Amino acid sequence: MGSELILILVVVAGFSFDFTNGFHDTANAMATSIATGALKPKVAVILSACLNFVGAFLSISVAATIAKGIVNPEVLTGGDGLVLVLAALIGAMTWNLITWYFTIPSSSSHALIGGVIGATIVATASSEVNWHNLVQTVIVPAILSPFIAGGVAALGTYCAYRLIRRLGQREARTGYRYGQIFSASLVSLAHGTNDAQKTMGVISLALIAHGDISATNFSVPFWVKLGCALSIALGTASGGWRIINTMGNRITNVESPQGFAAESSSAAVILASSYYGYPLSTTQVVSGGVLGAGLGKKVDSVHWNVIGQMLTAWIFTMPGAAVLGGAAWAIADIFGARANAGALVICLLAAAGAFGLWTLAQRNNIGPDDLDRTNVTPVEEAELAGVPPAVAAV
Amino acid sequence: MAILASEFINWSALWKIVLAALIGGAGVVIVFGFLLYGVKIANNAKSGGGEWAGYALAGVCGLVCVAAIAVGLYAITNKPKSKPAKPAKSALVVPARTWS
Repeated sequence: MGSELILILVVVAGFSFDFTNGFHDTANAMATSIATGALKPKVAVILSACLNFVGAFLSISVAATIAKGIVNPEVLTGGDGLVLVLAALIGAMTWNLITWYFTIPSSSSHALIGGVIGATIVATASSEVNWHNLVQTVIVPAILSPFIAGGVAALGTYCAYRLIRRLGQREARTGYRYGQIFSASLVSLAHGTNDAQKTMGVISLALIAHGDISATNFSVPFWVKLGCALSIALGTASGGWRIINTMGNRITNVESPQGFAAESSSAAVILASSYYGYPLSTTQVVSGGVLGAGLGKKVDSVHWNVIGQMLTAWIFTMPGAAVLGGAAWAIADIFGARANAGALVICLLAAAGAFGLWTLAQRNNIGPDDLDRTNVTPVEEAELAGVPPAVAAV
Repeated sequence: MAILASEFINWSALWKIVLAALIGGAGVVIVFGFLLYGVKIANNAKSGGGEWAGYALAGVCGLVCVAAIAVGLYAITNKPKSKPAKPAKSALVVPARTWS
């Protein structure tokens, strides 16, 4: 059984990861609503935060285990499990912060899976990782899902603009803005359910490894649920403005019918896939949806260089988080795998890294006021569509 | 190649997701467009009948949209439906025998 101190560090790291997950993924639900002026930026993130909080409590199913079927669970709940989970969380969190610094939407779930795999490989052996399941349940869905969401959003956008010819621009703009609020809310709710539960699963793993809860008669303690829900909600409310800017303004110039098409397609894909047990990344689905919505209106309205940056980040997310998770384990292991000192050292390093990235990010900070479009008139919007968004250069 | 694809791609889940996405994504966008169109017809109607028809169209489309949200909420609160067969309450830790 591991030490109390390490367990506390794991819980703190878990909540911190959930916080980064929140502000990293606010963009998924709210970027398009902010970009079209459907909601004021601060209102949007607070709405999203509330729905994330509620979503975390919604599902009656047992908290999903991260990396289930990919990493041998006995490794994670064994004697070294606590530090291993800690290293994985630190790897994932640091990767999230790095991609946030570079303003790239990337999958928090992939980062967490990568962190777990990296720490496991360094700690034990690659034989504890089921590569076949990794390809089947993570990589293949990751490749397919943006295409599905993108294709559907493109179709929806195309049809919407056909209808708009009969509707008139102003009615369509206003009408679809209201629709956007609902579809974005649904994505927020689904995000809270899916992602907060992943962290609940990780913290519960640590509690099993520590011997606090039994693996056979398992239920997530209430304080873990509450802590995860609060962390993800606070993270969401803090607003990942950098990533919201990328998702809402830099991929393509989103108009309200496109925003509605992108969000409802994404919501449909996310909800259907989690219902049918097909795991995929919210971030990648929504990015695909936004891209599709851009293509559905006008093919050359999409900024392909931004898509290229995002694809690069997606490819490197799992290996990158794996390297960071593996490195965190290796550093902790210098002090002995189960020693308090090693766990403390990697936590301090992670905190220093997080502070460093945050300080660097302040140099070219993007705030909610830069993104507010609620007062933009149609004329200004047309001008915006012709030139790169004013806040695009980051 | 086909064998490889069927080994790694869960087709039965995939086509359901594509279908759900088409209905819930593109379908809802189109229905919502008709909702707005119905409101426009009603607002511009010169006769009572035209107004009635516009609101009827908007109402039906509105109901479809509300139904779509309801289905979405149902999917959130009742997941996951399928595999693994019956993980019951100990789903967090996969029994050793399923580890292959």
